[in-house]
Amino acid sequence: MRHYEIMFIVNPNATEEEIDKINAQLENIITSGGGTIEKIEKMGKRRLAYEVDKQREGYYVLFTIVGNGDIIKECERRLRVMDAVIKYITVRTDEEVRRLEKIRSYRQKRAARRGSGAGAAPGPSAEEAMQ
Amino acid sequence: MKSAKEKRPPGQKQYYRRKKVCKFCVERIDSINYKDVKLLSQFVPERAKVMPRRISGVCSQHQRLLNDAIKKARNIALLPFTTE
Repeated sequence: MRHYEIMFIVNPNATEEEIDKINAQLENIITSGGGTIEKIEKMGKRRLAYEVDKQREGYYVLFTIVGNGDIIKECERRLRVMDAVIKYITVRTDEEVRRLEKIRSYRQKRAARRGSGAGAAPGPSAEEAMQ
Repeated sequence: MKSAKEKRPPGQKQYYRRKKVCKFCVERIDSINYKDVKLLSQFVPERAKVMPRRISGVCSQHQRLLNDAIKKARNIALLPFTTE
């Protein structure tokens, strides 16, 4: 199972209910396909950096999900079909998360080694600030 | 820039240039996320191009991650491709 983020932009003229409907549809696809939803974040209306479908604004929604490629394929197909959705992007995040964990554990190990060697080092405090 | 240095007459004072450091290494920013517009826009000057390393001083590893993040952000209209 892989972790993904699906971000899409809904037409700013769409009502709150329409957005909820889109979200419910996607939720249905994901759960019926055997995936799980970790988070649904409505990021709200934002100015777009460039014009998309003659719109200068858009309503951003972010899904954080766990699933496989088939779910993503289906979600993207549905997003393409929906008229209210003007843009979407899917990003795989598990590799990035693994990379970050590796860095973190490496830092912790190094901080621990330094801490045992020469008392309180600036390393551990910086490490805490990070988390 | 190199040619200007060569043309400098002997005896003239060479000006001091501050050593550039990678922002991400110094501040220990590990993840460069495409959603973090505030961070990314620091490396996207007016013309909406990616700021070159020789100006920003970002190390090669982080520049690569930064580049990927900026391109993702452009794709979802968080950052512009060009200015109108």
